[in-house]
Amino acid sequence: MEPGNLVEVSGIEVHRGRSMVLHEASLSLGKGEVIALIGENGSGKSTLIEAISGIIPLRSGDVQWRLENDSNRTVRDSQGRRRPLPPMGLTLQKDGMCGEETVIERIATALSVSGLSHDESILTRLLEEWGLSHRSKSRVAHLSSGLRRRLSVLSGIAPVALSRPPRVSILDEPSEGLDTASKNLLGGWIRAMARNGHGVIIATHDKEVIQWADRVLEVCDSSLKESPGESSGPELNLPKPLEMAGQTPIASLMKWTISMEMRNPVDTVGRAVPAIVAILLAYALVGSIDPIDHGSNLLAALVLAPPFISAVTSPAISRRLSEEDCGRWWNANVGPISRPAFSIIGSSVIIPIPMAYFSWIVLAGSVDSQVSIEVLKWLWLPAICMIDLAIAATSLHLLASDLSRPGAVSASLLLIVLVWPFLELTEALSMIIDNGMQITLQFNGPLVTCFFASLISALVWISAVLFPDT
Amino acid sequence: MDVIKKIGVNLTLLGLLGAYFTAILGFFWAPSVDPDQWNAPEAYRIVYWHVPFAWTSFLAFCLLFIGSASWYVSRSETGWRLINVGSELGLLFGAGVIISGPIWGSVEWGVPWDWGDVRLNTYALLTALAIFLVMALRSQPDGEGTRDTLAAIGLFGFVLVPITAIATTLWRDRHPGLVIVDSEDSGIDPEIRLILMLGTISFMAIFIGLTIVIDSIHRIKSEIEQQNISKDRVGLT
Repeated sequence: MEPGNLVEVSGIEVHRGRSMVLHEASLSLGKGEVIALIGENGSGKSTLIEAISGIIPLRSGDVQWRLENDSNRTVRDSQGRRRPLPPMGLTLQKDGMCGEETVIERIATALSVSGLSHDESILTRLLEEWGLSHRSKSRVAHLSSGLRRRLSVLSGIAPVALSRPPRVSILDEPSEGLDTASKNLLGGWIRAMARNGHGVIIATHDKEVIQWADRVLEVCDSSLKESPGESSGPELNLPKPLEMAGQTPIASLMKWTISMEMRNPVDTVGRAVPAIVAILLAYALVGSIDPIDHGSNLLAALVLAPPFISAVTSPAISRRLSEEDCGRWWNANVGPISRPAFSIIGSSVIIPIPMAYFSWIVLAGSVDSQVSIEVLKWLWLPAICMIDLAIAATSLHLLASDLSRPGAVSASLLLIVLVWPFLELTEALSMIIDNGMQITLQFNGPLVTCFFASLISALVWISAVLFPDT
Repeated sequence: MDVIKKIGVNLTLLGLLGAYFTAILGFFWAPSVDPDQWNAPEAYRIVYWHVPFAWTSFLAFCLLFIGSASWYVSRSETGWRLINVGSELGLLFGAGVIISGPIWGSVEWGVPWDWGDVRLNTYALLTALAIFLVMALRSQPDGEGTRDTLAAIGLFGFVLVPITAIATTLWRDRHPGLVIVDSEDSGIDPEIRLILMLGTISFMAIFIGLTIVIDSIHRIKSEIEQQNISKDRVGLT
C-alpha cells in the first residue's frame, strides 16, 4: 500500500447474479482527499461503496485500509477473508438507523463505535450546529425524512471530523433530502475534514457535491474513469477533536441492544407472552388430570415447552437490524464478528430460567413436595441449557434475515433441528423428577443429557455463524 | 436447447406413466405379505412409491449439496444451477417421503412420527431446508449476497445431517431397513422386486426429465434478467 493512502481498492470484481457490476475496479484514497463517485442509476456506485466498507464479497481483488498505527490491513479479499475496518464514518443510502434510537443516542453510538469519548455537552453542541438539538430526545422514527437524513449524515462524518488521527468517511448520496443550509454545512465540514488530513468518499448525483471533490471517478460500464475535481466549497471550523475512549465496537453494540430493549421491550414481551399463554393453556387443558400420573416425561415436556417457545421466537434484534439497513451499518462497523455477536446479544438470556420456574409452579402443583423441592433446586440446569438453544435459534433467524427480503421466507423451517435439544432437556428433567439429581458423568444421567442438548445447540450455532462469513 | 427441453418433457411424462403403472401393479397385482409379520399387511403397498421417493430425494439432496459446495468454494455458475434444481426436486421428492412415511408408520407402527428415527428425521430436515430455499429463490433478488447466503444455508443443512444422526441416535430407532438391493438373504419376492424396480426406474425418469426442464427454465429466466439489466443501464431516452 502506498504511504499517504488511507484506502486502496485493487482490481475488484463484484457480480450481481450473472451480471458483472464492477470489473477490475481500482481506486486509492489519499490523506486529505475528497473523491466523488458518479454514474447513472444502476451503474454500481453503491456497490463500490459497500465493497470499500467490506460489506459485500468480492470475486477478485482486495480492499486495504490504513490503520491508526500506520500499518495496513486487507479488510476483504476474493478468498473470502474478511477483517474489521479501522474506526471510520459511514452513511448508507438508506440511513442505517433503527427507528427506536433517539437522536442524541445515535450520535453517541456513532462516536462510541469509532472509539471516541464524549459527554452530553459535546453531543449537544454537535446537534445544535446541525439544527437537531431540539429533537435530541426524539426517536429517529418520529423525525421527518429530511431530519433523519441530516442525522444519518452527521453520524457518518462526526466520527471522522472529531478524530485527531486521519480517518475515512464514506457517504452514499449524503445530500439526498437535505435542505440548502444543511448541504452547505455538509460541504463546509467535508472541506475542513480534508484540510485536517481525513479522506472522504462520496457517491452522488448532486452537481454541487461533485464540486467539493478533488477527484471525480465515474462508474461506467463496470469500470472507473477518473477526472480532476474542483475542490471548491467553504471550509468551516470543526469542533475540537475528541480523545480515544477505548470502548470496543462489541461493547457499543451490547449497550445499543440493551438500550433499544429497555426503551421498547418488544423482544421481552414478544417472547414472554406466547410462553405464558402456553402455560395457561396447558393448565387449562390438563388441569383436571394429574400429569405426573401419565409419566414424568409428559410433565417435563409441559414445563419446558413454554421456555422453549420463548427461546425460538423470532428475536426483535433481527427486525431492528432490518430497518433501513441498520444491520449493514453495524456489520461494517463491527466486522466479521458481528454475526456471532448479534446471535448472542439478541437471544433470550433472561426469560428461560424464570419461565421454567413459573411453569413448574403452575403445572406441578400436585407433585410430591420432596420431588418438587429437588426439582426446584435443579431446574436451573435444563433452563440454562435452554439459553444455549435460544442462542442457536437466534443465529438461525439471523441467517434467514441476511436475505434482502427476509419477510418473504420462513425461518421456522430452519429451526426444526432444535427439537432434539428440547427432547434431551425434557429427558433430563424427567430423570430429575423420577430419581432426583445425580452429579455423575453417567451417559444416561441428567448432567450428560443436558450436556448433549447444549452440544447439539452449539453445533447448530457454529454452523449458522461460520458458513455465511467464510 | 429445444431438443433437450423436449427430451426432458418426454422423459417426465414417461416417468409419470411408469409411476402410474407402478401404483396400479402395486395395488392390484403385487402379492400380499405374511400377515403374521406385519401389523398392517396391506398397507405395505405404499412401499412401491415410498422407496422410489426416498431414492430420488436422496439424489436431489446430493445435487443440492454439491451445488452449495461448488458455489461456496468457487462461485461456480454450474453450482448455482445445481442449487436451483436440487432444491426444487428435493422439495418435490422429499415431500413424497415425509408424507408417505407417516401414512405407513401410523398404521404399521401405530405412530405417524418417531423423533428417534435417523432417516425419517433427516429427510424431514432436508425437505424443510428445500422448502426454505425454494421460497427464497422465488422471492429474493438475484445477487452475489443472496447466492452466498443461500449456498451457506444449503451447506448448513448438510451439516445438520450428522448433527441429526447424533441427536436421533441418542433417542431411539424404529424405522425398518430400506430394501432395494437384491440379495439371497433378503427374501424379497421376485414380483415385489420387479414392481420396486419399475417404480425406481420411473421415478428416475421423472427426476432426470424434471432436472432438464427446471434447468432450462432457470437458464431462460437468467437470460431475460440479463437483458433487463442491460436495458436498465440504457436509462431514459
